[in-house]
Amino acid sequence: MPTPVSTARQCLTPEAAHALDEAVTVARRRGHAQTTSLHAVSALLSTTPSSSLREACGRARNLSYSPRLQFKALELCLSVSLDRVPSTQLAAGDDDPPVSNSLMAAIKRSQANQRRQPENFHLYQQIQQQSSMSCVKVELQHLILSILDDPLVSRVFGEAGFRSCDIKLAILRPLPHLLRYSRTRNPPMFLCNLTENSDPGRRSFSFPFSGFPWFFNGDENCRRIGEVLVRNKGRNPLLVGVCAHDALRSFIEMLQRRKDGVLPMELSGLNEICIEKDVSKFISENYKEEFMNSRFEEVGKMVEHCLGPGLVVNVGDLKPLIADDAASAEAANYVVTKLTRLLEIHGGKVWLMGTVAMYETYLKFLSRFPSIEKDWDLQLLPITSIRPSMGESFSRSSLMESFVPFGGFFSTPSDLKGPLSGSYRCASRCHLCNEKYEQEVTAVSKGGFSASVADQYQFSLPSWLQMTELGANKGLDAVKAKDDGMLLSARITGLQKKWNNICHRLHRTEPFPEADIHQVDSQVPAVEGFQFVEDRKENDDNYSSNNTYASPNGSGCKNVNSCMSMDLESISTSKPDVPFPMVSEPKNESLLSKLLEKSSRIKDLEPGDLRSPRSSFSNSSVGDGRTSPTSAASVTTDLGLGIFSAPTTKELKIPNQTHRELPKDNSLSFSANFESVNRSISNHQALSSSCSCPDFCGLFDPRDFKTLFRALTEKVGWQEEAISIISQKIACCRTRNENRHGASPRGDVWFNFLGPDRFGKKKIAVTLAEILYRSRENFIHLDLCSQDGMIHAKPIYDCQEMNGYNVKFRGKTAVDYIAGELSKKPLSIVFLENVDKADLLAQSSLSRAIRTGKFSDSHGREVSINNAIFVTTSGFTKGSKNLSSRKEITNCSEERILKAKGWPIQILVGCLDDNTRSCNLSVSVFTAKGISDPIFMNKRKLLSSNEILEQHETLEIAKRAHKASNMYLDLNLPAEENEVQETDNGNPDNDSVSENSKAWLEDFFDQVDETVFFKPFDFDALAQKVLKEISDSFHKIIGLECLLEIDSKVVEQVIAAACLSDRTRVVEDWVEQVLSRGFAETQKRYNLTAHSIVKLVTCEGHLLEEQEPCLPPRIILN
Amino acid sequence: MGNTLLEALNVRVIGSGEKFLVLAHGLGTDQSAWQRIIPYFRPSYRIILYDLVFAGSVNPDLFDFRKYTSLEAYVDDLLAILDALKVDRCAYVGHSLSAMIGILASIRRPELFTKLILIGASPRFLNDEDYHGGYELSEIERVFTAMEANYEAWVSGFAPLAVGADVPEAVREFSRTLFNMRPDISLFVSRTVFNSDLRGVLGLVKVPCCIIQTAKDVSVPVSVAAYLKRHLGWPEHGGKFEH
Repeated sequence: MPTPVSTARQCLTPEAAHALDEAVTVARRRGHAQTTSLHAVSALLSTTPSSSLREACGRARNLSYSPRLQFKALELCLSVSLDRVPSTQLAAGDDDPPVSNSLMAAIKRSQANQRRQPENFHLYQQIQQQSSMSCVKVELQHLILSILDDPLVSRVFGEAGFRSCDIKLAILRPLPHLLRYSRTRNPPMFLCNLTENSDPGRRSFSFPFSGFPWFFNGDENCRRIGEVLVRNKGRNPLLVGVCAHDALRSFIEMLQRRKDGVLPMELSGLNEICIEKDVSKFISENYKEEFMNSRFEEVGKMVEHCLGPGLVVNVGDLKPLIADDAASAEAANYVVTKLTRLLEIHGGKVWLMGTVAMYETYLKFLSRFPSIEKDWDLQLLPITSIRPSMGESFSRSSLMESFVPFGGFFSTPSDLKGPLSGSYRCASRCHLCNEKYEQEVTAVSKGGFSASVADQYQFSLPSWLQMTELGANKGLDAVKAKDDGMLLSARITGLQKKWNNICHRLHRTEPFPEADIHQVDSQVPAVEGFQFVEDRKENDDNYSSNNTYASPNGSGCKNVNSCMSMDLESISTSKPDVPFPMVSEPKNESLLSKLLEKSSRIKDLEPGDLRSPRSSFSNSSVGDGRTSPTSAASVTTDLGLGIFSAPTTKELKIPNQTHRELPKDNSLSFSANFESVNRSISNHQALSSSCSCPDFCGLFDPRDFKTLFRALTEKVGWQEEAISIISQKIACCRTRNENRHGASPRGDVWFNFLGPDRFGKKKIAVTLAEILYRSRENFIHLDLCSQDGMIHAKPIYDCQEMNGYNVKFRGKTAVDYIAGELSKKPLSIVFLENVDKADLLAQSSLSRAIRTGKFSDSHGREVSINNAIFVTTSGFTKGSKNLSSRKEITNCSEERILKAKGWPIQILVGCLDDNTRSCNLSVSVFTAKGISDPIFMNKRKLLSSNEILEQHETLEIAKRAHKASNMYLDLNLPAEENEVQETDNGNPDNDSVSENSKAWLEDFFDQVDETVFFKPFDFDALAQKVLKEISDSFHKIIGLECLLEIDSKVVEQVIAAACLSDRTRVVEDWVEQVLSRGFAETQKRYNLTAHSIVKLVTCEGHLLEEQEPCLPPRIILN
Repeated sequence: MGNTLLEALNVRVIGSGEKFLVLAHGLGTDQSAWQRIIPYFRPSYRIILYDLVFAGSVNPDLFDFRKYTSLEAYVDDLLAILDALKVDRCAYVGHSLSAMIGILASIRRPELFTKLILIGASPRFLNDEDYHGGYELSEIERVFTAMEANYEAWVSGFAPLAVGADVPEAVREFSRTLFNMRPDISLFVSRTVFNSDLRGVLGLVKVPCCIIQTAKDVSVPVSVAAYLKRHLGWPEHGGKFEH
């Protein structure tokens, strides 16, 4: 039911009401029955002179289009959608078109949002007492934000290339004049407070983020200190730097405030004692030794009795310890010895921290106590940034938090943030829970159960709880936890360590994680926050009662929480490194299979020791990370829940889930998931076990040697011997397997292709896939050499697979890629090029696979290779004789062909009479290339041996060009060409392959079923053929008078294309259809005389779409 | 993983030598600053060029105000690039801010650097009791205030431009102001720089360093170069060049 405009206006501030009026005008003008969000957008975009929406669009727009274009597109899209709205005849004298339900809903949403604004909170509370909520006046900005949430509106923006989340961010981001919150009291710190100060007398706005560097630096320093503290070796940080002392102080302050967010989880609850003053007094004022002694005893006692991870002994500035006079030196000696003893006795529970302002001071200290670095297990930590000078309040505010009120706004964090923001998320996790942590501490101190301090950090990715449940461990652990608080805390520590590691991994070694990692991070804080909420409400020792996870009478939150405490138990013993490798793997499949594997492992473990589910779950949440949470409903709890739902399934995306439903849903969907995994895996197993002799359904009988041979020869005619061996072996293996009914019949066949002719090898492998498995899809291709080659300009040979590999499986190891592919398509040819370049992991994996018939990935998960055919290639042979790098006597080396790229081909026309160089600039480029490239000269000869040059006396040309080119020697040399050459010439595999891998290689080669030697492909013959083809065509069309020069690159490209192509007559066809047309066009356009030189060159710089060498569909004329 | 970073920071590897040479630009410029000297190094080095994240040529959205709060974050970037390129040894040329980054990077991973060439480096810009960094705190504050004023001008000039999107001139201006190095970023980075103090850690540098100091440097007094030379763990040469 549409709402009358007047009613809607009541909910709006004058500014917003004005906007609504404009929208109504638009709707009326268009004769529409209702005023919708689209009308509102139209009005917002066009009317107001300083339209904030328009301005936000300007900042949020896609950088790849011109702003003008994109605004035009937006207007167009908008008007189109408006046109689609059916217009109705308004009754004469009727009122304004009423506000549609969707727009009204947007207003309501913004009301709700605004109500949650902290700075409005007091205001609205007062109002609330007096009257109903409806009188919350919606401000324009909130209205815009809500309208942008409207699916219709976001579609329109989407069509114009905007993303509404970007626009929302732009609106929220600090262009301060947009944020007009009146403020009468000192509100909590929020983004808007930072960016605007509404007091008229003061500066009208401040720079965004201007307060940040200080406090974040503080956090940064603290974080780094924390990193040192958790290490096993060098765990006692010695801060070096002018501001080191300040950094230490802020670290200690942070410890005292229990602001553990910045620190690694396992350090939460760390105690601290400062002996700096005592030490300096003792040394400088000659205090009595007893005093110092009692102080140290005190410290020792503290260590013994302290809960949590331990005690930090803050020694402060080390300067007093290097005082010069004898008495002081003795005192310093005493202190140092005592401290050393303390560390010896209490080992893992005591940390020392100290500072020196200058490194030189440390050196002095070192010269006095030479073994101190070892005794104290010191780690120097350079501190270079000034400590936070802003108030504490700053550090508690974070962008993350400030966004919380805008529910749903953060639903796609990875969209909002560029790749550089990895650590940001990590940091924000900590910030998010700082505040809560403090409250928790208060609660706990009342409750007096110390273990739960750390407890709140148990984090855990929630759905895995259900795993715990599955493990039939219901309740046991939690009860135990209650009984033994100390044990709990110890376990928490382990758990924290693990999580901390995860966080660090993400944070440090992958400063630029991909989207899925963002997701993980963003989920984490929410879960914590959520859990905290519960924690607070909860009595510390009612774990057992909470543990009724599945019972419907507890609220959802409680259930989750109780499960979390169970997690805590189960995780704590797990190995810290299990989950990491998975984090970067977006593949659901592997995750799932891992899940299964984990769960099966559980069974092996003693009951109660559910280590694995946890890690598997963190994985699953990564995999499903795409399902980003929406949290349109109420503030903290909902946010937590919304995100909480994310790891499991998409169906949970619906906002406004009731609390009770959620955990259930999770468990349901999860177990469903799990089951399906089970099923699929078992299917898979069934499949692989049932068809140990793969069914090559019809079409082709693998036992038929002749059929196979014929099919292969058709494709790769020149490798007859090799083909014969291959097809024999395959036929033989298949028969063998069929006859064998042993316990583990092996269906896998291993080939090793040695020698040159990369094209041929690959073609045969592809053909095998086509024949045996009936599809090119069943061809898993990986070049083991390409993995390290980030900066090497890779040979363009077969880019598709390689690029696919690079893009999709970036960050995956080779074995993971292979295992993943194999689990997807068990019936495959696995084609591994340059097996001699395999890294250790791949080596061991391959060796195991060839022995056991199971291919294991980097996590030890195995995939059956029963139905696969492995083909490894190498230029390397048994006798360490390197075939591929042996001196090529041919003119056209395989390397050069492999390097060919898919350039467009261009015809240039030059004139013989003029100076060749000056008449056409591209000549010099052409020749310069030739010079840099020894092959060119060969090519020249090749050409001259052809009748083209024979018929024309002009060998001179070549000479002249040669001369000219000398001047251009290396300036035009493209860098990558050199590199490639370098790698080509400079990697005789004998050198690069270490002894170790050589041994492996020989061992491996011995085990393969068949080693096949390939003959070098006669590229020269093909080159001759190509040249002949081209020159024939040229002479036919242009005649014999003109001279044709062909860039060697053109020839190489044509050859490469011919080699890659499946058809036989590809070159002939191309010459006939494309090149000859180009010649004809040239003939028409230029008046070719006997003095003309026609040049066929590659046009580098514009690569054709696919990088693969191909024959360009048309010739460019110049 | 590294690829994203390499792309984002416009990493280029050029040249035909064997040894790696990293050229890192200073505040307010980008890798094009090296354009004129590249030809001299090209034949004998493989030159790694990259833009620091605040450079105008890098997508400003990638500048994370919460991450780049200290030089350590830039060091992370540099090391990540070198790791992604699988560089195991390299010489490093850093100008101003990048010189500081190089110092910190070499402290963290001394084995990675054969040599540091520090151009216009300063461990600390602010004056201290017995240290002349060239700036007084009050001066800095003035500079920042001026920058903020500029920012304000930028912001207030922004809206009218956005509206006049139909006027080509305005559009051009619009995009120009929008896509050059954002003033908020440059201010932020400047603050980070002025908040850094490397004096205490210079001794930790265990890599041969070469200090290049121009005679007329507005931001770094010559005394700073002397200070550097005195305190660096292993200064090899101190060069002084007239401009």
